[in-house]
Amino acid sequence: MANRSLGQFYPVQSPLHSLDPRAKICCVALLAVGLFLIYSIAGFLVVAAAVGVLVVVSRIPVRIFLRLLRPVAFIVALTVFFQVLFSREGATLLEWGFVEVHAGGVRLGLLLALRILLLVSVAGLLTATTAPVALADGIEDLLSPLKRVRFPAHEVAMMMTIALRFIPTLDEEARKITAAQAARGADFGEGGPMRRVRALVPILVPLTVGAFRRADDLAEAMESRGYKGGEGRTRYRELRFRIRDAVALVVAILILAAGVLV
Amino acid sequence: MRLELRDVRHVYGRGTPFEVEALRNVSLAVEPGEVLGIVGGTGSGKSTLVQHMNLLLVPTSGTVVVDGVDAATLKKSELRRGVGLVFQFPEAALFAPTVEEDVAFAPRRMGLAETEVSERVQGSLEMLGAGHLAGRSPFALSGGEKRRVAIAGVLAMASEILILDEPTAGLDPATRQDLLSLVRGLRDAGISVVLVSHDLDEVAEAADRVCVMERGEVRAIGTPAEVFYADLANAPATVRVGAALKVAYSNVGTPVRYGETLAALRAMLED
Repeated sequence: MANRSLGQFYPVQSPLHSLDPRAKICCVALLAVGLFLIYSIAGFLVVAAAVGVLVVVSRIPVRIFLRLLRPVAFIVALTVFFQVLFSREGATLLEWGFVEVHAGGVRLGLLLALRILLLVSVAGLLTATTAPVALADGIEDLLSPLKRVRFPAHEVAMMMTIALRFIPTLDEEARKITAAQAARGADFGEGGPMRRVRALVPILVPLTVGAFRRADDLAEAMESRGYKGGEGRTRYRELRFRIRDAVALVVAILILAAGVLV
Repeated sequence: MRLELRDVRHVYGRGTPFEVEALRNVSLAVEPGEVLGIVGGTGSGKSTLVQHMNLLLVPTSGTVVVDGVDAATLKKSELRRGVGLVFQFPEAALFAPTVEEDVAFAPRRMGLAETEVSERVQGSLEMLGAGHLAGRSPFALSGGEKRRVAIAGVLAMASEILILDEPTAGLDPATRQDLLSLVRGLRDAGISVVLVSHDLDEVAEAADRVCVMERGEVRAIGTPAEVFYADLANAPATVRVGAALKVAYSNVGTPVRYGETLAALRAMLED
């Protein structure tokens, strides 16, 4: 209901939403690996421009998309801070006591910041444009070759689906319990760190108890409907790899090539 | 304590694709020492409404007024002490190792002396007929016992207004009856009770006034007789019997409670 930012599916119709999840996962994997092959700011800017275009294509409001980046802002700031302060490469730009800022440090800081931000943006585009169930189906398919070596691809995907499915449920439950304890005079965010941690006990205990009860219920419900693992199981939504999915892969490779070559 | 909601509107998930207007233009008052029943279908805004009464939810627009003072200006902790709220399925929030400690949570948070705390714990557990459970683990109790304990945990705040959101949902008839007599007992002790329920018979039995919610709005508010006789399709069984009696027997009045309807039926048979 409320705004859960990191990895929230944003349900609108767009060319990105309608792509095969497998294609999208491959594109993201390609780009994620590719981002570590780029060592120039110009290269990152090219990829950033491409990601910008993709955001527009995805019809996700820019404001909401930027929210995805907020949780990593701290990590980015910290990375830049350390790179700028502790790197001694290149010409000295600033000297103040024992603090020295070098051109190489600034450049490296910027590179790392761009790399992290782009990684999160690309991953965010995937989760924002792909329903969690489709995502898990895609992962199952991509992992299925590993079934030959007895890797439990179906079980892993089912676990992911269930985990994803229950994030909002647990979130809702946590909200309810928090409200119930607040009605009994619980205060969160008051006092020192120890008191704050202790204030969480009245929430975490019932939340855990509830999660176990729910897991039991779910297992029973699944068994009573005849679930017995992936063998011979069909799907309601069949994934189909279309031409546009191939185009998406080509586009991802082109973006990457442009970034590396610039 | 008199609690008033003025023109309260609430929107969930503002500015997201999941935006829902859960309440609109809701104005009503909880008078001192009354039982106000709130009825309505699922999704009619009952639960959202009661969470505004102690400002667990803040109105998107409109105000909540306590004894003539805007509740937003009061200290939240004091407001929540004065207006006790028992959520739907309150047993989901039990957490302490023993029943006693769980019920003691709220009075301890109020900073009461230990003797006063244990008095309140005993007192409220006994009001719910759960005094014998004090030393048990709340997780090892039956559903009905858990419910009793969870309600005692809010009752221990000794609030002037007690809100019960679907207190009888999923309970056996005996526990149900006990809870309804608790509601009447509290009212007789001068405490206002807001009873949210979709069980019309139960509301007819306990409420002094009834408020009907529909799609986030107050559709009707008044005495049970006024509200229920105006809309027989959504009236409790006792009222439907009363209305049917009226056809043959005009001076049946407007019985609402089970006892009243029974008396009217007797009078008609004796005639």
